[in-house]
Amino acid sequence: MRTDKIYSLSKVLQEEGILFCYSGYMTEDVLLSIGKAIKEKLMLENADKSVIRGIFSIFVEEMQNVIRYSGQMESKVSANSMLELRFGILSVGRKQLANDQESFFVACGNMVSPTDAQRLKTNLDHIQALDAQELKTLYKQTLKGKSPEGSKGAGVGFIDIARKSKRGFEYDFIDISTDRTFFSITAYA
Amino acid sequence: MDHVRIEATERTPEVYFDFNGHYFSLRGEAYPEDTNAFFGPLMNQLEDYFQTLDEATITFEFELIYFNSSTAKVLMMLFELLDATAARNNAVKVHWIYEADDDNMEVLGEEYGEDLEHVDFSLVPKEA
Repeated sequence: MRTDKIYSLSKVLQEEGILFCYSGYMTEDVLLSIGKAIKEKLMLENADKSVIRGIFSIFVEEMQNVIRYSGQMESKVSANSMLELRFGILSVGRKQLANDQESFFVACGNMVSPTDAQRLKTNLDHIQALDAQELKTLYKQTLKGKSPEGSKGAGVGFIDIARKSKRGFEYDFIDISTDRTFFSITAYA
Repeated sequence: MDHVRIEATERTPEVYFDFNGHYFSLRGEAYPEDTNAFFGPLMNQLEDYFQTLDEATITFEFELIYFNSSTAKVLMMLFELLDATAARNNAVKVHWIYEADDDNMEVLGEEYGEDLEHVDFSLVPKEA
């Protein structure tokens, strides 16, 4: 890669207030190392302890979503094991919000199928419209109920993200092709 | 089998189950790579053991620094199990220990505690 390309990439990240960015295959080992780096970086930035806890928690949920559900994946099946690698992009940054407050954020993006995109949108539209009390009720109901079909986790990750996003969250979808949609979510702690 | 002891890792808690002493604890971080693989066998052991109890007094301590949403679901199942055990003629004490400045961990504890009908649940703030 040419130096000027790398420089312009790093400049874009800087302009977006990004302190940390990872793009590539995500695994649980990558999660562990990045998680440590993010905590250390936020401590150096003198972030509140409660903000660091919130960011870390959102980071784990977003990252595990990619590891489990990203639609862009490579897999190799052998006699007694299956290797699956899923692709995504994750960044942590700092942004001046409209009300002149500064907020740390975790932004994450990955490919999904159009069917999953529709399901995610319905879910997230619903969650975003809830107030704190309603989120708490839904959170507890989901913890007590069965995981939604096709879910490898508790199906409660996005509700948890919404509860930890003290300054809200936003998400969007871009149709890339007939069978690929790019999904991203940014949560402000 | 009279006890289970699993050392903590960066992402899994220290587990100590003293079956004869009726004392159980989970301490540390909880965001396992595979939640069911880590907690599944432990939950089975607790379920089997609690079945056998009658007029027993047991203590369960939670001192968690962080747990992810799939662990939150396991904890909910564990609290339901503890409440059912307490409903059957046993005394169950739960201590939810958290760092005094960690409001989030305090709220999570309150939320588990408020649904319990038979367990003697207490929030225990700990100064850092």
